[in-house]
Amino acid sequence: MDTLLLARLQFATTTSIHFLFVVVTLGLVTLLVGLQTAWVLTDKPAYERLTRFWGQLYVINYVLGIATGIVMEFQFGLNWSGLSRYVGNVFGAPLAIETLVAFFLESTFLGMWIFGWHRLRRGVHLALLYGVAITAYASAFWIMVANSWLQNPVGYEVRDGIAHLTDFTALLTNPSLGMALGHVIAAALLVGGMLMAAVSAGHLLRRTPDFALHRTALRIGLVTAALSITMVQGFGFAQFGPVGEVQPTKFGGGPGADALVAEWTARFGLGDYTPPVLASVGLGFMILIGFSLGTLWLLLPLLWRDWIIRLRFPLWLLLFALPLPFVAAILGWIAREVGRQPWVAYGLLPTDQAVSGVGPGVMLASLIGFTLLLGTLAVTNWVLMARHAARGAADPALGRRPEHPPADPRPEPAFA
Amino acid sequence: MELAWYALLGAFFATYLVLGGYDYGVGLLLARRTDPARRRAALNAVGPFFLGNEVWLVAAVGLLFGAFPLLEGELLAGLYPAVVGALAGVILVTVGVQLRSRPAGDRARATWDRVVVVGSLLAALGWGAVLAGMLQGVPLHADGHVAGVSHLFTPFVAAAGLAVVALVAAHGATFLALRLPAADAEPTARTARRLVPVALAAVGTAAVLGLLSDRVRAAVQRPAVGVLLLGLLVAALLAARVALARRRPGLAFAATAIALAVPVALVGATLWPYALVSTVDAGASLTVADAAASGPTLRLLGWLTVPLLPALLGFQAMCWWVFRGRTDGRAPVYW
Repeated sequence: MDTLLLARLQFATTTSIHFLFVVVTLGLVTLLVGLQTAWVLTDKPAYERLTRFWGQLYVINYVLGIATGIVMEFQFGLNWSGLSRYVGNVFGAPLAIETLVAFFLESTFLGMWIFGWHRLRRGVHLALLYGVAITAYASAFWIMVANSWLQNPVGYEVRDGIAHLTDFTALLTNPSLGMALGHVIAAALLVGGMLMAAVSAGHLLRRTPDFALHRTALRIGLVTAALSITMVQGFGFAQFGPVGEVQPTKFGGGPGADALVAEWTARFGLGDYTPPVLASVGLGFMILIGFSLGTLWLLLPLLWRDWIIRLRFPLWLLLFALPLPFVAAILGWIAREVGRQPWVAYGLLPTDQAVSGVGPGVMLASLIGFTLLLGTLAVTNWVLMARHAARGAADPALGRRPEHPPADPRPEPAFA
Repeated sequence: MELAWYALLGAFFATYLVLGGYDYGVGLLLARRTDPARRRAALNAVGPFFLGNEVWLVAAVGLLFGAFPLLEGELLAGLYPAVVGALAGVILVTVGVQLRSRPAGDRARATWDRVVVVGSLLAALGWGAVLAGMLQGVPLHADGHVAGVSHLFTPFVAAAGLAVVALVAAHGATFLALRLPAADAEPTARTARRLVPVALAAVGTAAVLGLLSDRVRAAVQRPAVGVLLLGLLVAALLAARVALARRRPGLAFAATAIALAVPVALVGATLWPYALVSTVDAGASLTVADAAASGPTLRLLGWLTVPLLPALLGFQAMCWWVFRGRTDGRAPVYW
């Protein structure tokens, strides 16, 4: 096993685990903003309980999002020191902006939101959640700016073998950015909506006492998921044009791809410049899942007179469909990332020049260690989430009144 | 220009060591607190600050990547085992603290507490080793390649790692003496008072081993500054001890905070103008100016991030202000 393959495997593993959590974070925080706003505006206890129940699931999910995100950030320096050496001047900027301007504030706000129940005024508390959501979207934007630059390097010039930034606006208007950002955000909303619909469906199937509460969440989740699957499809297909133009080798051959390969062979020497087939196979499956989830629209008419709940089988469908958007999200990233092989920065920096000079033994130990660590933590996290989801909204720890005995199942009164 | 960015980077990392340091110190002290209620009280004393503390590390590394891309690659890859150890520790603490109270059973919680203790130990050891590794130089070749990892395993690195462990333990105990309800703070203050001399001894051992190490002597560019800052570190610890004895936990906390920030300044200032000194090829040593991103990148970062720094600090200050004072049983309990 060579260092390059091990480093790529580690990147793929960490990124995939990371994305499974951030996609839920981004989707749920949007729904939470809606729920808490509804609570503050209408003062209905039901919305407070929904905010607490879904807020707790959101916070549990967030834990692994941070943990894997920190590994991601360090991985660039640990395993890909060539990346920072040759293109760090350009690629580093959006990452630095993301951590300082977005993630830093997101975490600070979230800490205050968790511990601010019953302590801050309701308006301030709600504003904190808005802060969390806005900075989460800002994070997604800057990360996609950085990723799009790797897909299609723009706004730079190479002097002494090192890329220097010349035009930052080119990074922001990158053709591989716009539709991809919309696609990712829509996918996050889809995952959030599906999760909310599926968990509520589970409660309605088990006939837990909180019927009205889970019915509301089911409706919110299903409508969100149906609207966002259409956006996912739209932004997804809209990408083929611009991405095919800037990355001709991504979706298989063609005259453009042949010309580019010939040019690379002249500049970088002989080599295999076509991405592995794995990428396009995954893409096919992702599109298949995307079309299947489009049938969510067929469930919407069943919301009339709660037929969706009375018939029961649509609830089972929602429950079993829950893994699909997650699988599609991973396949989508594989198509995007594996599709730019053998490049770290497309047409500019090959992966074998970007990998760190550490030995294969150290890299293997790091791969096994972090995969086991993050894998175990991810599974533990999902088990905890599933348990809390199954426990229901009787009395989540989040937002519990301090003097409140924990075993008391009474619903919380609204706090003025 | 580069100096300003290097100072900003140092400030972020030092703030992380100060704020994250008490997270890890409290984490280490869980090992001594066997009663579940007291453990939970300690974790919720950190409570609202925890996420805002850890994020300084993320910001510091973001700044490192944006403003010093060359240093980022060579520093992290060159000190691979130390960075990986610290990283694993940070992850264990982050996950352990946030998830430990989600299971209801005492046994599951005790297991998560062990995760927090091990994570805190690894994180403190790791960051100590990273700072010591910088101070003793790495076998950096002219192509930016650092050969092997065995260069890291020296007595000085081990002693520095242990010194940071002792420092964060004393810092964490002082934080608890400041923040826990008055009745519970008294025994914690006694623990802190006992931990300060341990930290002094550990720092002394690391300093002696550093002075005896040829590599450290060769790498250090400004020994006078190093001795001066070491003196400041010792003075801060002595001040913490006096303040604890006089029941002034606020002053003691300020002193232990200085003691955790000084090592960063010490490494940065004694190596200046270098950021990373090579032990094999003097010409391959990386100066701060060479490691910095080129002009347009730094200007862009300056325009986009520096105007926002007051907002970052303001929201952190808001968090400290909202949750100031001792925990009193009226604050929400979540961790």
